[in-house]
Amino acid sequence: MDRLPRGRHGLSPEFVAHNQRDRLISALILTLADAGYQKTTVSMIGRRASVSKSDFYRHFDSKDDCFLAAYDHAVDRIRGTVVDACAAIPTSEWPGRVQAGIAALLGLLAIEPALATIVLAEGLRAGRGIYDRYQAAVESFVPLLRDGAPDPPGAAAVPPATDEAVVGGIAALLSRRVVAGETEDLAKLVPDVLEFALAPHLGTAGARRIISAG
Amino acid sequence: MSATRPQLPQEFIAAHKRRRMIDAMSELCAEQGYEATKIADVVRRAHVARKTLYDNFSGKEELFLAAFDTTLADAEAAIVDACEAVPTDDWQACTEAGLGALLGFVAAHPEATKLCLVEAPAATPASAERYETAFDAFIARLREVAPQWPGRPATLEETLVGGAVWIVQRQVRRGGGAEAPELLPELAEFVTSPYRDVGKR
Repeated sequence: MDRLPRGRHGLSPEFVAHNQRDRLISALILTLADAGYQKTTVSMIGRRASVSKSDFYRHFDSKDDCFLAAYDHAVDRIRGTVVDACAAIPTSEWPGRVQAGIAALLGLLAIEPALATIVLAEGLRAGRGIYDRYQAAVESFVPLLRDGAPDPPGAAAVPPATDEAVVGGIAALLSRRVVAGETEDLAKLVPDVLEFALAPHLGTAGARRIISAG
Repeated sequence: MSATRPQLPQEFIAAHKRRRMIDAMSELCAEQGYEATKIADVVRRAHVARKTLYDNFSGKEELFLAAFDTTLADAEAAIVDACEAVPTDDWQACTEAGLGALLGFVAAHPEATKLCLVEAPAATPASAERYETAFDAFIARLREVAPQWPGRPATLEETLVGGAVWIVQRQVRRGGGAEAPELLPELAEFVTSPYRDVGKR
């Protein structure tokens, strides 16, 4: 992690502060993935970020305070990646949008397992305050899934609870893989996850056709 | 006074006290969470002596795990009973009956359910492992009951159980355990619809 040059560098205090804060957040995420929540200390975070302990406390009240900021940052990054991938496909091509979103999600978690760890594993074990954030984060993907989704052939519209269960089920699958340390091969799950997400709206046969077509 | 009271067998009294301690742990965890719950709270709520608790359990964690195991066993028994009442070749009716029994159990035992679904994943590493093992067992059960076909997604049962658990967990977290049975129609549709067209592939 690159530290700013010592002494007069002509950078505004706001920039330096922001740079430090970002480095501390990144350092917490990485340390958490290596050491787990209990063993992570302010000293470890500071060392990894090349930020002094006193500077740490200028940005955060405590390890927990830094953790919350890091958690929110990780969720934003994951969500942003999925939103961007979906936005590149027109709403009229719903299956393609969903595929783009799922591929982007699993791809990101595979190459940045520390992000996956804080949101889907360590975060859940850290305590009560986090679960509300986790639930809100998972639920925030439901509108992305439902946007432009068709009604199933010859049946009534899909109730929101079904898409909530789809998103919750995908979160559970990913969480179990992360806890098991199996993030490298997440991209291989795209066809399964895609079929699962498409089936309520396209019917199982319709979803299978899309998957077989590649 | 005690001359007219019938003598209950020792084992019955011991089992009853054990049950009270387990129920007290469930209630207290539902009210204030695992971490905030102390042995002193449990013995007070269960109306047992501290010695009695330590005769039965090595400490708070062992009692918590016993509460988890007992609740899970009771839920599984309710599910098995419901499935056995259904004709054996009707997998859809069996699955719906099992789901209905599970949601009925949640409504009847909201604190114990909350201990298993909400507290256990985060309380201790041992309880998190219990939770994952129970999850695996539900996945295996669904796989046994539901139709199989070549090329079916290997992760189907995992995502279906994950989704059902998500919905029930959310309901329990928001204090709506008593209304859990209302989730049955949509949950049953969610769990069974991927298998319905199997014959037509």
